[in-house]
Amino acid sequence: MPLLLEAAIPARLDRGRILPGFLDERDQPWLHVLIDEVDRFRGRPLRELQQRLREPLPCATPHFKLRAAVQLLLRLGNAEIKSEVSPAVARETLFSEAAVQADRPRAVVVAAAASTLGLAPAALERALFADLPGERIFAGPDSPVSPHEVALRVNHLIARSLLFRASRVRIRAEGALRPVVRQAKLRGLICTVEDGDPPVLDLSGPYAVFRRTLLYGRALGELLPFLAWCARFELRATCMLRGQEGELHLQSGDPLFPASTPKPFDSKLEARFARDLKKAAPDWDLLREPEPVRAGGTIVFPDFLLRHRFDPSRQFLIEVVGFWTPAYLQRKLSLLRAAKLDNLILCLDEERCCADGDLPTGARVVRFRRRIDPTAVLQAAG
Amino acid sequence: MRLVFDQGTILLLEPESSSALADLPGALWDPRVGALRCPARFHQRLLAELGQRGVRFEDEVAGPADELPTLLPTDLRPYQEAALAAWALADRRGVTVLPTGSGKTRLAIAAVTRMHVPALCLVPTRVLLDQWARAIQECTGFAPGRLGDGEHQVEPITVATFESGWRHMRELGNRFQLLVVDEAHHFGAGLRDEALDMSIAPMRLGLTATPPTGQTAARLAELIGPTVYELRVDDLTGEFLAPFDTVVLHLDFTPVERAEYETLMATLRDVLRRFRAVDPGATWQEFVRVAARTDEGRRALAAWHRSRRLLAFPHAKRQMLANLLARHRDARALVFTADNATAYAVGREHLIMPLTCHIGRKERERALTLFKEGKLRALVSAQVLNEGLDVPDAEVGIVVAGSKGEREHVQRVGRVLRPRPGKRALVYELVVRATGEVQQARRRRNALAA
Repeated sequence: MPLLLEAAIPARLDRGRILPGFLDERDQPWLHVLIDEVDRFRGRPLRELQQRLREPLPCATPHFKLRAAVQLLLRLGNAEIKSEVSPAVARETLFSEAAVQADRPRAVVVAAAASTLGLAPAALERALFADLPGERIFAGPDSPVSPHEVALRVNHLIARSLLFRASRVRIRAEGALRPVVRQAKLRGLICTVEDGDPPVLDLSGPYAVFRRTLLYGRALGELLPFLAWCARFELRATCMLRGQEGELHLQSGDPLFPASTPKPFDSKLEARFARDLKKAAPDWDLLREPEPVRAGGTIVFPDFLLRHRFDPSRQFLIEVVGFWTPAYLQRKLSLLRAAKLDNLILCLDEERCCADGDLPTGARVVRFRRRIDPTAVLQAAG
Repeated sequence: MRLVFDQGTILLLEPESSSALADLPGALWDPRVGALRCPARFHQRLLAELGQRGVRFEDEVAGPADELPTLLPTDLRPYQEAALAAWALADRRGVTVLPTGSGKTRLAIAAVTRMHVPALCLVPTRVLLDQWARAIQECTGFAPGRLGDGEHQVEPITVATFESGWRHMRELGNRFQLLVVDEAHHFGAGLRDEALDMSIAPMRLGLTATPPTGQTAARLAELIGPTVYELRVDDLTGEFLAPFDTVVLHLDFTPVERAEYETLMATLRDVLRRFRAVDPGATWQEFVRVAARTDEGRRALAAWHRSRRLLAFPHAKRQMLANLLARHRDARALVFTADNATAYAVGREHLIMPLTCHIGRKERERALTLFKEGKLRALVSAQVLNEGLDVPDAEVGIVVAGSKGEREHVQRVGRVLRPRPGKRALVYELVVRATGEVQQARRRRNALAA
């Protein structure tokens, strides 16, 4: 779903805070009218519906909320090409005929082209641009939508459009934070988790150190659906809106999560490792995304739990580390040692990795390049 | 110390001494990872600076090196050779300014062939992505990678749209040594500049017919390099570009259209005057932003939009276009409109093929082929024909209306300047009297003469 243009986002800035204009129950009457109006245009060219929706509704409507709802409903609706002949064929036939009969009246040329295609002239005229977005026949959404559902979807669109303009996001969340961390890592964001009650997740992109970049806005916005899985969360985002910086606050209870679950964003690297390990070590089970583990001041989100099928006491946590520095790694390993977490195997990407000598002795570390070797992981497990 | 590439930036890891790293070009301390970080664009300067300071380091920034195949050589015209030489003399960083139709793509392909290093070509649109990829294959014998328009195939020579380049440069920024930026005037003032910041490419070649000025030009010089070579239409007219005449046709609204236009403009002027009284120095964009927040402002903006639609294709322009197409029925003509809706209206009314963003790649290619063979008499477009698209020879250009000012006009006129013995191109501009179009037409002609 394309995001809202900056100028069209229902939100205002007030003393450094960005206040989104979420739709609530007060908006339901006009949403009802809007949905009915859209429904009335089923079977007519999309252009006519677009034209109608540029005009006011027969009731009071908040301008920017209405525009956002219109954008959403137009995207939800399907539109079909209805034509007796392929419009591309109609165009080539007619316009080529026009070149041959350049000095003949338009009607004569159209009749000649229509005859070539075995159509009536009116059918040819209808087919000419039938595939253009505005000429397609509006068929409405797949299933009926209620004003409440539309409001939630619009709010979600507003929140994502604002997060698209974010350079940094901090999330304090309880429960199910793991999918958020995982998604953030997979999208190349720098992600630090401070232990606390609840823990705090700090997300930004590498480029954010130089300027307020919007480069990661899409990735930051894509994390929003995963927050629906958290029992409770508070999100603080630094966003640029209309040339000014402001802070956006979102939290659990905000009316912005439609019913559909977010599409998982899988890592090919991890999927391939799971596959390879199954082949190389049939006696071991690999469980994805085990529970996070507290270690000192941080929280570890292991990617896998490796467990021996016939001896469940032999189990190891595996974390695929994204970007790291030696200092970061040293800190992390000392925290793990202090927390007596000695069954964690770290898989380090060699392309972002320091030399062996830099690693503390005794650390369970596997280096990899593009593919994690299951034998090396089993060796590290001992 | 090790230098590594991290998503469009360079990280300086494991320094032996931090004192030697003070004030490195572009570098900032990143507390999130505990290391110095700088935009990838500074790679070459960083190497030089570290070398001068005697810092020992391993440079692990460059990505996987793909083998470049042998590329067929590209012949150039004398002025293209001169432009390439000027670029080489400027340390292979700079912008060449050449008129539309003078073969900028060919010049860039020659640069890629002669440098023989991995190269990324950034182009503004999907249409041009396809055209560049085909041109590279035809000239060099190598099928380049494509990034954009639903494709994601990276090769040692790759063509990417600006949008895809911006999105993917954090993964690809260390894989190319040469960056070619088509229609480079789009950079220097916007979000997409980050794409150029995130590449380590030491060689950068910008191409444009209409270079920017002021702060944008200065930023472009940082990102790509300064203007290293510049020729205008007049410099090439005769031998390399066809001579041309411009005819401005002043037309009148019908009384009904005039009354409607005046009403619409009065609605706009009233709000605009009050806005200017409060903020005399404000730009049009600022006015639009403010106006969009009130009912009255929105009515003013709606009136302005309706006035533009009225100007786009009023009765007199319809009639005049019919006359011009009849007069030049044996010539190949390009018709330029302000928007797609008018392009379709012209297409339907005068039975000429529209080329817009809604017409798919295959049909577009087919239309250009038929036009070249003389099987289509004219093409009509709002924007697709404006920039870069390699249009077959045409003798007549008809500018029904424009929406993007002087730069657009220079590009449009360039579309009919492909040379041929004995050819003299003709460009018509349709202008409605006593409207903003009169002033616009004057500015366009000045831009063309500059």
